[in-house]
Amino acid sequence: MNEWEIAAAVLGFALIPCGAVTLLSDPAGALPAVEVAGVLLSTILVLLAEGLRRQPFIDLAVVFAPMSLVGSLLFARLMERDL
Amino acid sequence: MSLRAAAAVVLLVAGGLLEVLAVLGLCVMRDVYDRLHYVGLAGFGGFLVAVAVLVRESFSLIGDKALLVGLVLVLAGPVLVQSTARSLLVREHGDWREKTREGSDS
Repeated sequence: MNEWEIAAAVLGFALIPCGAVTLLSDPAGALPAVEVAGVLLSTILVLLAEGLRRQPFIDLAVVFAPMSLVGSLLFARLMERDL
Repeated sequence: MSLRAAAAVVLLVAGGLLEVLAVLGLCVMRDVYDRLHYVGLAGFGGFLVAVAVLVRESFSLIGDKALLVGLVLVLAGPVLVQSTARSLLVREHGDWREKTREGSDS
């Protein structure tokens, strides 16, 4: 296991508290946790691409990072109107 | 270990620590506006990790894409924080622009 894979594993475990905050707090309080989880997942995909030397993972990260941004903005906008 | 590899490891550790710190802050803070501070911090962690990949790989296909992801993450942070805070403010207190218009009409 190289240092990139170790970092990906550490950040993978860091997703657990984000999930716990998302599940346990009210919808408004969960939104920052979802946003941080999106950043963590993008970083994990970059780390896996580098650690495993698999190019497709970084393509996933390139797609996931903007999609995560758009999804979070949409959630925030819908939450504004209590939908 | 070459100087380039050492720099990549230092950047990787710094980025990882920033992201773990952001998650810890998210868990410790109770108020949603306090939690929002850590969204931007996580983006900077992602950017440092992307720069670590770039330092190791140089401007190759994987290095360029990592830099792109890092830039998206670091630029998305302030946008997300501002739009989320604005939405939560409107959710709690209503649209302040309507109140301003009513105040100027009377």
